[in-house]
Amino acid sequence: MTALLEVRGLRTTFKLETGGEFTAVDGVSFSVESGRTLGIVGESGCGKSVTSLSIMGLLPKGQGRIAAGSIHFEGRDLATLTPAEMRSLRGNRMAMIFQEPMTSLNPAFTIGDQLIEGIRCHSELSPAQARAHAIVMLRRVRIPSPERRMDEYPHKLSGGMRQRVMIAMALSCEPKLLIADEPTTALDVTIQAQVLDLMRTLREETGTAIILITHDLGVIAELADDVLVMYAGRIVEKATVERLFAYPQHPYTIGLLGSIPQMHLAQDRLNAIEGQVPTPMSGLAGCLFAPRCPFAVDACHQHMPPLTDLGDGHQAACWRAPLDSEMGTAP
Amino acid sequence: MTVLLRVEGLVKHFPIRQHLFGRETAVVHAVDGVSFEIDSGQTMALVGESGCGKSTVGRLVLRLLEASAGKVFFDGEDLMALAPAQLRAKRRELQMIFQDPYSSLNPRMTVEQTLVEPLALHGLASGRQRERAAELLDLVGLAPQYLQRYPHEFSGGQRQRIGIARALAVEPRLIVCDEPVSALDVSIQAQVVNLLQDLQRRLGLAYLFIAHDLAVVKHIASHVAVMYLGQIVEYADKDSLFAAPRHPYTQALLSAIPLTEPGLRRERILLKGDVPNPIDPPSGCRFRTRCRYAKEACGQQVPELVAVDGHSVACHFWQEIEPPAPVTQGVAVNDRLARLQSAFRAGNG
Repeated sequence: MTALLEVRGLRTTFKLETGGEFTAVDGVSFSVESGRTLGIVGESGCGKSVTSLSIMGLLPKGQGRIAAGSIHFEGRDLATLTPAEMRSLRGNRMAMIFQEPMTSLNPAFTIGDQLIEGIRCHSELSPAQARAHAIVMLRRVRIPSPERRMDEYPHKLSGGMRQRVMIAMALSCEPKLLIADEPTTALDVTIQAQVLDLMRTLREETGTAIILITHDLGVIAELADDVLVMYAGRIVEKATVERLFAYPQHPYTIGLLGSIPQMHLAQDRLNAIEGQVPTPMSGLAGCLFAPRCPFAVDACHQHMPPLTDLGDGHQAACWRAPLDSEMGTAP
Repeated sequence: MTVLLRVEGLVKHFPIRQHLFGRETAVVHAVDGVSFEIDSGQTMALVGESGCGKSTVGRLVLRLLEASAGKVFFDGEDLMALAPAQLRAKRRELQMIFQDPYSSLNPRMTVEQTLVEPLALHGLASGRQRERAAELLDLVGLAPQYLQRYPHEFSGGQRQRIGIARALAVEPRLIVCDEPVSALDVSIQAQVVNLLQDLQRRLGLAYLFIAHDLAVVKHIASHVAVMYLGQIVEYADKDSLFAAPRHPYTQALLSAIPLTEPGLRRERILLKGDVPNPIDPPSGCRFRTRCRYAKEACGQQVPELVAVDGHSVACHFWQEIEPPAPVTQGVAVNDRLARLQSAFRAGNG
């Protein structure tokens, strides 16, 4: 079976005001199968959003560009598509929802106008049919009295409702791939629970593949099948969600899990990762996490570790992985 | 243990006018009858979702906003009765840390100027203000050579440390922390949480910790008050609140937290709809429109916050509600992970 989306060796760079370029994403490879949910987790600046913008062809013009690598969607190399072909793909075969539903809806148009516009762009439906379809979509994302909501403006809706409208919009053309970039980050926890529940149900109903981008490991645990952990523009660990949480291998993943206060533990002190993420201009020769890593040895500071298979499709980019032999933590 | 801060029946109504000088057309009930106490050296967390009034309470306590009604006693003294000059002097003992480390520091002031300003205002450390500023930076884990830098040269976590150093400059006894870590990345958030705890132990600080993240609250607080639509619906010591939440809202809030435990399918209490408009809150119990246990009586009578065994809840029927299974039931402790994670502590113990 060929993957729905195949990203190979992606390198995305941005122009600097001072001239020259910096690399935001480097050597990123992964694939997404139909019906699966891939979680991409990492902190600000790790390249998770740039990865998704690269896939969607939404990098800011004249600033960001794909410098190396390839992206194949349904077997087609996206780099070979014309802007018009790309446009007909976006919002249709692949769709995206963003973190801030207020800024991604146009405040000057009603919810209905915006939904109908998207539907008519990618289908032959008449205005009346498109309106009917839009109402069906609003009902599917559990918006109460959708007929009435169609004629309202975004400011009348709460944050959770707006995110539902965004999801309805993204799913209205039955995309094969949905990219959700921090879909619940701006929402309160009880509303987040509603939206996660909705996404889970819709995934079962439609079989849409999802790329879920988030900084929240809890959200990943709720929704993802497979996970990529990114750090400073690179993938540092790749595993199924069960393995990642039960048996993490990369020190960054281990540290990240230790940084979250756990509901089931009485912790005296959090195991914080000291220091900060290196800037893209840091010019580190070795592993980018080495300056913050308690397990780092000399080799880590000199050579960049490749993403290496540890069995069962579990991969980590760490010279010390698996750490268990010396730490006496073998399972 | 002595009571450091006592808040009694705090109310804040924001009038809404159609025009600048128009008549009041409506009132936002932001805070409606909030009472609590904080002992010295303790942390009380005020939790709730956007718009519940938790930040407004923080500002009312410091009199950054004037309350519509209610009293605030600090160390037995009525803060509401203080004249402006007295209040300014009193603020030496009550400080605040803000959520957004980007907008809460003056971009035109160096770190040294930022730290020296409160010292000068309160006439502290005269003659050795520079040394004191360096000490303060050291206290929050920043090197003294940063004194001459500007805020834009720092990361979010470092700026939050500077904000904390500024609050500490005047040696306060209580710090109101308004979402101090929610704008920070996870790994940086952990550093700042650890720092706040270390400072509390060293300096005997009390915190009013305003947050929406219950996992952080469980980690840092000794007592927790849960707010909904301007009122406290539940108040208890941390262990009792997290082990046996009594209010249906608290129960839903706890069950909504995503745990880092894939495959664990908990029964989740999904709340219907959104928080009602605080201009026109529901009659009786304000939570009743989203409560799965709501009965007719809930719409007629406002439930009082009643303490039973030191655990207060504002619900008519809490004793009839079957307590939910603990949120963390079925979560295993991962020994391997804990051992590997302890390596991160070695360097910064």
